[in-house]
Amino acid sequence: MLARVARIAVVVALLGLTVTLALAFRRDPHDIKTGTVLKAAPTFTLQRLDGSGEVSLADLSGKVVVMNFFASWCLPCTQENPALVRVYERYRGSDVVLLGVNLQESRENGLAYVKRMGMSWATLADDDGRVALSYGVFGPPETFFIGPDGVIAGRHIGPIDEDTLVTAIETLRARAVR
Amino acid sequence: MSRRVLIVIAALALAAALVFAARPHEATADERIDQIATELRCPVCQGLSVKDSTSETARQMRDLVAQRVREGRTNAEIEAEFRAAYGDWILLSPPVASWSGLVWLVPVAALAAGLVFVTGRLRGTEGPPPAQPSAIDVAALRDRVAREEAAEG
Repeated sequence: MLARVARIAVVVALLGLTVTLALAFRRDPHDIKTGTVLKAAPTFTLQRLDGSGEVSLADLSGKVVVMNFFASWCLPCTQENPALVRVYERYRGSDVVLLGVNLQESRENGLAYVKRMGMSWATLADDDGRVALSYGVFGPPETFFIGPDGVIAGRHIGPIDEDTLVTAIETLRARAVR
Repeated sequence: MSRRVLIVIAALALAAALVFAARPHEATADERIDQIATELRCPVCQGLSVKDSTSETARQMRDLVAQRVREGRTNAEIEAEFRAAYGDWILLSPPVASWSGLVWLVPVAALAAGLVFVTGRLRGTEGPPPAQPSAIDVAALRDRVAREEAAEG
């Protein structure tokens, strides 16, 4: 009787391991669902890098917000920047807002990078890293997609491409129309 | 004063000193910051706590912990803030009462299943108990013994 129970337990354990591994390998490592995803986006008010005022998330309610955490010392940030520039131009003046959040460096370095890379969208200074910590950021680059309802719909860890950006934005816009 | 009384007084004084030293005391703010920073995982390091890491992210996390302690938040509230952002992963020792607590439960369950399995296998190798002889066999044996005794006698 005990041996039969043990045999069943071993089979169940192996089955569980197989299912867990199958699910884990199917998941996109850039698309992490834990932490703040599907929860209300933490509110913040940050100063613009160029010192021309502040931006508050509360003022962007009802819009699709794409929040990109970056730093000048981060090579993948440089790699993903052309995609961000194209997406910004595509949605300029629409209900989509692109925000760059600079972290873990001086404002001078951040601002010099913004000018060098042609980043025309609002870039903000997260001097003490509190906004990054409240979003559960591991390190730049990371991109969060916030819906018009103020809920974080998704996050992308690592350099992002144009297709991923547009797909995520259009999904949120379609959801807002419905 | 006799020597025995002096020894008793000295022993009592020593016991009182030990009790005083070992009494539970309220942790200072710095001790609490260290304790929480030890329990939090540095997100940009390989298996290092926030206390042990020298990274900028860990420094910012320690600053946030220190601020929350100064604001009067409890350890559980401060850890909950980090868990809300990073999930249970941010704790170096996952809480038992959650899905991540399976890391504690699964090895114990696997060990128990293994013991049951090995015990079952060992019992299986002992073989079946010897069969009792039937009444016919017993009668035949008695006949044989009687015949052999008669032949010898």
